[in-house]
Amino acid sequence: MPNILCNDLCKTYRQGDAVIKALDHVTLEIEPGDFICLSGPSGSGKTTLLNMIGGLDELDRGEISIDGQRVDQLSKGPLADLRLHHIGFVFQAYNLIPVLSARENVEFVMQVQGVPARERRRKSMAILKEVGLDGLEDRRPAQLSGGQQQRVAVARAIVSQPKLVLADEPTANLDSVSATHLMELFRELNQNHGVTFLISTHDERVMRYARRLIRMQDGKVISDEIQKSV
Amino acid sequence: MAGRRALSLAAMSRLSWRYLWRNYRRTSIMLLAIGVGVWAMIFMTALMRGMVDQMIADGIDALPGLVQVHHPAFRDDPSIENSIPPPGPQLLAALGSPPVEAWTGRVKVPAMISSERNTRGVTLLGVDPAGEIALGFDPASVVEGRFLEGPRDPGLVVGRKLLERLETDLGKRVVIMSQDPDNNVADRGFRIVGVFEAKLSGHEERQAYAGLATVQELLGMGDQISEIAVTGGDYRDVTALHARVREPAGPQLEVLPWTELDRYLGLMLGVMDGFVLVWVIVIFLALSFGLANTLMMAVFERVREIGLMQALGMNPSAILYQVLLESLMLLILGLLLGNLLAIASIQPIRNGIDLSVVAEGFEMMGVSSVLYPALKMQDLVLANVVVIILGILTSLLPAWRASQYRPVEAIARN
Amino acid sequence: MTLTLRMAWRNIWRHSRRTWLTATAMIFSNVLLVFMIALQFGSYDMMIDNTLKLFSGHLQVQAEGYQDNPKLRSSIADVRSLAAELRTALPEARVAPRAAGFALVSSEDRTFGIEVVGVEPASEPGVSTIPGMVTAGRYLEEADSAAIVIGAAMARNLKVGTGDELTLLGSGRDGSFAAGIVTVVGTFDSGSSDMDRALAEVPLPWFQDTFAMRGHGNSIAVAVDQLGAVADARAAAATVINDRDDLVVLDWNALHPGLRQAIQADLSSAWFMYGVLIILVGFSVLNTQLMSVLERTREFGVITALGVRPRRLASLVMQETALMALVGMAVGLFLGWLVTLYFHVHGFSYPGMEELAERFNLPGEMYPSITFGTMILGPGVVFLFCLLAAVYPALRLFRLHPVDAMRTV
Ligand SMILES: Nc1ncnc2c1ncn2[C@@H]1O[C@H](COP(=O)(O)OP(=O)(O)OP(=O)(O)O)[C@@H](O)[C@H]1O
Ligand SMILES: [Mg+2]
Repeated sequence: MPNILCNDLCKTYRQGDAVIKALDHVTLEIEPGDFICLSGPSGSGKTTLLNMIGGLDELDRGEISIDGQRVDQLSKGPLADLRLHHIGFVFQAYNLIPVLSARENVEFVMQVQGVPARERRRKSMAILKEVGLDGLEDRRPAQLSGGQQQRVAVARAIVSQPKLVLADEPTANLDSVSATHLMELFRELNQNHGVTFLISTHDERVMRYARRLIRMQDGKVISDEIQKSV
Repeated sequence: MAGRRALSLAAMSRLSWRYLWRNYRRTSIMLLAIGVGVWAMIFMTALMRGMVDQMIADGIDALPGLVQVHHPAFRDDPSIENSIPPPGPQLLAALGSPPVEAWTGRVKVPAMISSERNTRGVTLLGVDPAGEIALGFDPASVVEGRFLEGPRDPGLVVGRKLLERLETDLGKRVVIMSQDPDNNVADRGFRIVGVFEAKLSGHEERQAYAGLATVQELLGMGDQISEIAVTGGDYRDVTALHARVREPAGPQLEVLPWTELDRYLGLMLGVMDGFVLVWVIVIFLALSFGLANTLMMAVFERVREIGLMQALGMNPSAILYQVLLESLMLLILGLLLGNLLAIASIQPIRNGIDLSVVAEGFEMMGVSSVLYPALKMQDLVLANVVVIILGILTSLLPAWRASQYRPVEAIARN
Repeated sequence: MTLTLRMAWRNIWRHSRRTWLTATAMIFSNVLLVFMIALQFGSYDMMIDNTLKLFSGHLQVQAEGYQDNPKLRSSIADVRSLAAELRTALPEARVAPRAAGFALVSSEDRTFGIEVVGVEPASEPGVSTIPGMVTAGRYLEEADSAAIVIGAAMARNLKVGTGDELTLLGSGRDGSFAAGIVTVVGTFDSGSSDMDRALAEVPLPWFQDTFAMRGHGNSIAVAVDQLGAVADARAAAATVINDRDDLVVLDWNALHPGLRQAIQADLSSAWFMYGVLIILVGFSVLNTQLMSVLERTREFGVITALGVRPRRLASLVMQETALMALVGMAVGLFLGWLVTLYFHVHGFSYPGMEELAERFNLPGEMYPSITFGTMILGPGVVFLFCLLAAVYPALRLFRLHPVDAMRTV
């Protein structure tokens, strides 16, 4: 179970003359089995924070550790393995490999992990059913709606039960029934399997599921509270 | 037709230029490909041309002459019986006026040459040294001793190979035997006064030069000769020279240009022209797929922009021209690169590349082993014209397709 | 089929037009290469074969130095018994002893120098095609003594026919005067104008008597069934002459140094041309694959973010290239084979070729040789170069930065 520590994270992007502080001295601790929502206005640094925790980008300053392992100091190969085996990603947009069918997309990561074919198939069919896509397994991404694509991405992220799921606006394209269904699924995984969730969202429905709600603005954490309603 | 005005050429060129460099990697690779292709067209052609030119020049020097006059039976049966009288007044007049530049009469008979140690078969040439030199014999090729000094010179000049085969030396005596007109064996001792080296080792091994009058006297043939060799003008066009000599020579003599005298050489000229064309087209075809591909990609990735331009009122034909212009720019840049590469690579080897490693192989083809590339204007033009014309033809399809997108369709597409 | 391979296959058909254009470039080169190489090797084989079969044989035993300076005195003592030894040592091969010298030949009207070769009438047909090319009269027979077979052009120039007598004049091995009268029993037409004009064959015993050879000869020609067998035969012959260090065994390379070099000269210009074609195909592949990698930056970004190492993506790109190249190879090989087969059956010729070909002892039509080797050589090299061309695009993936990649459009 991961214990994630973010200490004094800074990241600035330069665009021409403008300097954008995407992360501005962010310090954060995430306990194992937590269910966290990250909200804040567009451009406030949510995606950047998720990317940093997933080891996709380099920090200007600060440190991130997962279970005592310094993510910001890992080299590319071990980072890739960390993501492959322990972290599930759902990106904000453009998630899927266009030439693979829904099922193959879900199986893809498992194949790289070396999961045997039969097990891959069983797990992928099961998870697609869970996200409400049974019957659509053999469609290519281009033949799926935005919301369906998003659900395939979610299925791919959680299929091998990673310790940590980083989801960037997973419900952006979903109707409220599907969104609720998805969040129920997340909660089930969180409660029964101890998967830690860090979800960035603008969606009130999603925030309701969060145990802890973090608000960001201009690269800073402006509030961090435990929700009691759950 | 207000609002549907075509763009000015300058504006269109600017647009095409920008599009060309929008994907600079793709454009650079294609430029490189065209450059290498055009370089190969020109470079290879120059080498082959150089080889064939050399081969023809050597062949003509060896004949010698661009046109020769013989007894009609001589070429099949090079015997003393098939000799001819020296040129009469009419022929002499023709030989003394343009386009004839030089001529010489020679005796050419098969003979046996014996040294103290060896006997070989040779072609004995009775020559007038001045005439021989005018016809292309290079006095500098006599590397030991001297060349003959006049038609009455009693000495003999042989090739270096023959000298080695006979195991004899400069200054030593050899005996030459040949048939006289009455089929008696005539023989005579000669002192070797000179040794020559020839580009083709066959000549070095099989030819011996003696004075014309000396040989005529040896063989008792009076003033008869075997052949008249004539030169003048460009070897590519001998019709005028041929006609000038043939008429006064009369029907009882055979007058032939070099292309007939050595069919192999004559054919080489035509085969070479064919080869250049085939080579240029093959290379272009290999390039054309890449060119079509590049343009297709360029058109495909800007379908939306094309739609937009049409929506803004640009004429479909203007789009066609714009894509063609883009292709033309690509072709011209590629040609520039290719021509520069070719000239830059031919320049340093202008003075010949030594290929003596495979000298005997070239000898078999009738080529000497130093190769001089010959960059010809006609080949350069051919390569460039083929690339431009076929290149534009290849671009027509992508360009036409680009102009056929309907605005809505194009914009909707993603 | 692995998932990666399946992905690769689907990826190349995402832009089917582009893939076809690239594959067509390969197909074009492959067809050309298959045909040209087959034609080339076909003509080389024929050139070697025809040249060797005409007269020289595949191997010769000679006195040392004879090849460079052929003279009567460079001779092999007791040539017929050495030939017999060679026959036992080389049961598969055909062996013919010879003696050769220059002589002045005279008919009633004509006199000129020729090359006279003394041969064993029974063994000569095994090493040379000249006995089979006798067009008038007959070839020499075992019982013949003062008989001669001459080239057709020589007969014309001497103005003689079968049954006519010729006088030969020359010098013997010991330098003595050698002369003899022979009867023309046949004339041959070999197709090589040099030989038809200047070569004559007489029985070996008669030659040895007339030219004071005392049992000596000048060469022993050995013919085998295939070029491939030459090396073994050469080794076997070398053991036979082991105790005679005045003798050497020369294979066809040494007998016709020009032949191999003509082939090499022709090959080097051909390799240059093929090389250019292959490089141009390589550029096509480089362009296509680089574009296909660049336009998928985003997609590759997502995949790396999932934890897939760049090595795997690079291998995907290489597999895509390999598949595309395989398509090009399969179609190219098939079409190339069809074209080659057609000319293999009907012969290939172009205007003027007959006269050019004669110079190299070739017929006016050429037949490409269809072997696995000549077929696969060109396409194989094209395939390798295609893979090579994709290395740069594949290597670019190692520099991929997932976040930047996902932000590109
Ligand atoms: N690679 C980059 N180059 C330049 N600027 C960047 C880059 N990545 C992010 N930014 C900038 O950093 C800031 C934070 O971006 P980020 O993507 O984290 O915002 P976000 O909170 O996810 O917004 P949204 O809700 O719209 O997805 C933005 O101002 C963005 O423009
Ligand atoms: Mg975001």
